[in-house]
Amino acid sequence: MKYLNKPIKEINKLLKDKKIKPTDLLDEVYASIEANKDLNAYITLNKEEAYKKAKELESIEVDNLLFGIPIAVKDNICTKGLRTTAASHILENFVPIYDATVVEKINEKNMIIIGKTNMDEFAMGSSSRTSYFGAPKNPWNHDKISGGSSGGSATTVAAGDVLFALGSDTGGSIRQPASYTGLVGMKPTYGRVSRYGLIAFASSLDQIGPMTNNVYNNALLLNVLSGKDNKDLTSIETDEDFTRLIGKPLKDVKVAVPNFFMSDIVSDEIREKVKETIKILEDNKIKVDYIDMKYIDKAVTLYQIIAMGEASSNLARFDGIRYGSSYENPENIYDLYVKTRSRGFGAEVKRRIMVGSYLLSGENAKIYYNKALSIRDDIAKEFDKVFEKYDYIIGPTTTTTAYNLDDPMDDPSKSFMDDVLVIPVNMAGIPGLNIPIGLSKDNMPIGMQIIAPKYEEAKIYQLASFLEEKINFGGDTNE
Amino acid sequence: MSKYLPTIGIEVHVELKTNTKIFSNSRNGYGSVVNSLTNVVDLGYPGTLPTLNEEVINLGIKAATVLNCKIRRKMHFDRKNYFYPDNPKNYQITQNDTPIGYDGYVEINDDGVMKKIYIEEMHIEEDTCKSTHRKDNTYLDFNRAGVPLIEIVTKPCMTTPNEAKLYLEKLRELLFYTDVSDCKMEEGSMRADANISLRKKESDPFGTKVEIKNIGSISNVKLSLEKEIARQEKMLDNNESFKEQTRRFDSKLNDTVLMRVKETGNDYRYFPEPDIPFVEITDEMIENVKKTIPMLPDERREKYIELGISEINSNKLVQNRDLSDYINDLLDEKIDFQVAANLLLGDISAYLNKEEKTIEETTLNIERFIDLVNNVSNKTISSKNLKDILETIMTKEDSIEKIISSSDVQNITDENLLTEVVDKIIDANPESVNDYKNGHDRAIKYLMGQIMKETKGGANPALVMSILKDKLDN
Repeated sequence: MKYLNKPIKEINKLLKDKKIKPTDLLDEVYASIEANKDLNAYITLNKEEAYKKAKELESIEVDNLLFGIPIAVKDNICTKGLRTTAASHILENFVPIYDATVVEKINEKNMIIIGKTNMDEFAMGSSSRTSYFGAPKNPWNHDKISGGSSGGSATTVAAGDVLFALGSDTGGSIRQPASYTGLVGMKPTYGRVSRYGLIAFASSLDQIGPMTNNVYNNALLLNVLSGKDNKDLTSIETDEDFTRLIGKPLKDVKVAVPNFFMSDIVSDEIREKVKETIKILEDNKIKVDYIDMKYIDKAVTLYQIIAMGEASSNLARFDGIRYGSSYENPENIYDLYVKTRSRGFGAEVKRRIMVGSYLLSGENAKIYYNKALSIRDDIAKEFDKVFEKYDYIIGPTTTTTAYNLDDPMDDPSKSFMDDVLVIPVNMAGIPGLNIPIGLSKDNMPIGMQIIAPKYEEAKIYQLASFLEEKINFGGDTNE
Repeated sequence: MSKYLPTIGIEVHVELKTNTKIFSNSRNGYGSVVNSLTNVVDLGYPGTLPTLNEEVINLGIKAATVLNCKIRRKMHFDRKNYFYPDNPKNYQITQNDTPIGYDGYVEINDDGVMKKIYIEEMHIEEDTCKSTHRKDNTYLDFNRAGVPLIEIVTKPCMTTPNEAKLYLEKLRELLFYTDVSDCKMEEGSMRADANISLRKKESDPFGTKVEIKNIGSISNVKLSLEKEIARQEKMLDNNESFKEQTRRFDSKLNDTVLMRVKETGNDYRYFPEPDIPFVEITDEMIENVKKTIPMLPDERREKYIELGISEINSNKLVQNRDLSDYINDLLDEKIDFQVAANLLLGDISAYLNKEEKTIEETTLNIERFIDLVNNVSNKTISSKNLKDILETIMTKEDSIEKIISSSDVQNITDENLLTEVVDKIIDANPESVNDYKNGHDRAIKYLMGQIMKETKGGANPALVMSILKDKLDN
C-alpha cells in the first residue's frame, strides 16, 4: 500500500500537487484486486474504461476531495456500457444503456468506477451466497461469509482494494456485511438517495448507501450520492454537508438501547462488546437508557410480507422479451415466460417470487400486504416516540459474527433472522449505520448500529466519529 | 316490446391529450414511426422508475368535473400484475383503490326524455403497447406504452342500446370539448366495451353478463348490443343457458363473436404502487382546472337557440367544435346570428372542407366575419353572389366592403341607376306590363328577372321591387 491507506485529504493533496496521478491509484487498486482474486468480490471489472477515464482526468483540475478516487459499485446499480447483472443468470449479459442517478453523481465528481461487486442475486439474501457467480469471501477469514447482500462491496473495501463502495440496503444489506467485515456502512433515510437505476428488489424499502473504512469518508460519499432526483418521486431534497458535525462535541446527548436488541437472540460475545461501548459513552457523560420498544420484534415478519410482495411484482419484468436472457425457440409466449424464468432465476429468488405472489393473491393482499403496511406505520411511530426523548438508538448490528461459507442454506427463515436487528430501521424509513466496535475471540469484526430520526444522518456521523476515535478499531480511522 | 329487460353498462377508455406520457417524458403522439416514441422507462428496463405527469392529474380533475364526479382528495396508484407481451413491466400502473373520480353522471336526451347515466368511477392508468400479430409472430409497438388513459365505468343503468349510443355521444362531446381527449375511435383514442345481461323483470336478479369488447364505433356499440340482445333472447326463449363470456363485434359478420368464456375471477394481485407517493388534490388545483373548462356543449346549444339559431343549426354548430368556438367569440355582438350560423354551416363550411382548412387558417377573422354577416343581413350582398367572392374573403386581408365593391357582385342600391334600368325594361316589355295591369301577378316576376339579368344579379331586389311597383301602379 502506497496511497490507499492514507486519509482522503492527503490523497487529494497528492493529486492536486500532481505528485501522483489517478492512474497510480488504479494501479494499486487493480494490483490489490488481483492479489485478492480468491475473495470473489467482483462480478465485472471496468479496468479498461477506468484507465481511460483516469488518463482523461490528468488534464482536468482537481476540484473536489473525491476527484480521481476509485470506487466500486454494487452490481444491482445500472452503469451505462458496463455489464450489470444483479448477480443473476437472467441478466448475465445485460449491459445498460443508462446510468443510475448515483452513478451520474459519482461521475460528475470524477470518481472512477473500478468494477461491479458481487452480491446476493437481486439482493435477496444475507450471505451473498445466492449469487449466480458464487459467494465472495470474508477478508478476515476466507472460510467465512462477508454477509449480504452487499457482500462484494464489503469484501473489497475490507480487503483494502478500494476506499469506497456503493451498497444497497433493503433489510440490512449494507449494515450487516459492514458489520461482518469491520466497515462503516450507512443505510440513509428512505428517499435520501435516488433509486433510479437501482434494480428494484422491494421498492418501498430499497436504499443505496456508502460503504467505507472510516466515518469521514462515508459522510463524504453520502454528500455526493444524496439529493432530490426528478427521476425518482420518492427522493427528497438535500442541502447539507453530512461531515459538518464530525468531531464536534456531543452535548446533552441521550441514547436508548432497546432491550430486544440486547436479548438472548444476540451472542454473549457481541452483547459484551456493545456493553463495553455503552460504558465508553457513559464515561463520556452520555446518558444511556435501556428501553422497551413495541413492534420491533415483528419487523422481520412484516419485512418478509412487504419485501417479497413487492419483489414478486418488481421481478415480473424479466420475461425474456426486451432484454436479458431469453429462452431459445419457445413454443409460445407462456413457454417463453416459464422457461426463461425457470432457467434465469436462482432458487432463493424463485422462492421469494412465489411467496410474494401468494401474499398478494386474492384476499391475501388485504390480509397480509396492506396489514403489514399499516403495522409498518406503527413501527415508524414507535421509533418517533423514542426519539422524542432520545437522540439515538443503538444496539448490535448482528446477532453473531460472520458465519461459515459452508453453513447450510436449507432454512430460508434463518437468513432473515440474520437481519432481525437491522430490518426495523428499513421498516421505519430512518437512517442506520454500522460502526465496528471490536473483534471477537476468533478475530472477527463486531459492529454496532447507530440509529437516528429521519434526515439525521449528520448526527449519526457525529456519534460514529466519536466512537471511532475512542475505540480505534484498527486500520485508518480519520481524515 | 320484448319480454326481456336488458341491463347495460359501458366501460370507456380514452387516451388523454397530453404532450408526454404519464410516467415518462416520452412524447405522446399517434401515427409516428413504430417504437420511435419510447424510452427505457416505457420499456420497463431494470432500475427505471415512473415519474408522474401533472397534466394527467389536471385532465383527470377536468374529466371528473364535467362528468359530475366527486373527486378523490388523496389518491394513489396501484399495480395490476399480469403477464402479457404488451405489458412491459408485466404490471400496469392503474388506480384500483382510489379512483380519481366517483359517483358521477351525465345526462342524455333520449327523444326529448332526459335521463341520467350514472358513473360508478373513473380512474387514471397507463396504456399498454400495441401488438400486431402476423403469421407466427407478434410485433410490439411501444409508442402507445405509457400513454395516459382514463377509464370511465358506468353503473349498469342503461336499458336500451340507444341509451348506450347517446351516452357515448355525450361522453365524447364532453371530453372532446374540454380537451381531455381527441376521442377518435378509429385511432383508438376512445375505446368502448359494453356489458349486457337480460332478465325478465326488474325485480329479478341480473342475468348472465356478456362483455362485448373493443367496439370500433359508437354506432357499432348500438348495433352490437341489438344483435347481442337478439342472440340472448333466442337462447333464453329456448331455455339454453350460457356462461359469462367476452365477445367482440365483427363488423363484417355484423354480429358478436365469442372470444372467451370468463374463467374464475382473474387475480391481478393489486397492491399500492410504491414508486409513486400519494397524490393530494387541493381545492386550488380543482379551482385552477375549472377555470380552463370552456362553455360545455349543452350550454352552447341553449345559447345558440336563444340567439335565434335554429335547433338543427345549433346542433350542427356544436358538432363542429372549430365553428362553435368561433361563433362563441362573438356571442356578445349585435348581429344576425341566424345569418351567421347559415354562413358558417353553409358556404364557409363547404369552402373549408374543399380546401381542407380550419377557419383559423383563413383570413376571416372575427371582425371581418361580423362585417360579412352584416353585409349579408342588410342585403348588400346576396348569399348567391357570396360564392363568387368567398375565396377572396377567405384568403385576402382586404375589408369585406372593399372586396364587395371591387367585384361586380355588389347590390346596386343607387336608386337613379336602378330607375333607369327599370324604365328600360318596362319600355322593352309592353306585353308583360299589360299582363300585370290585367291582374297577372306572374308578369311582375318576369320583369324582375329581366332587371336582375340586366344588372347581372347585382340589383338590390327589395329596392327594385319597390321602384318597379311604383312605376307600374302609377
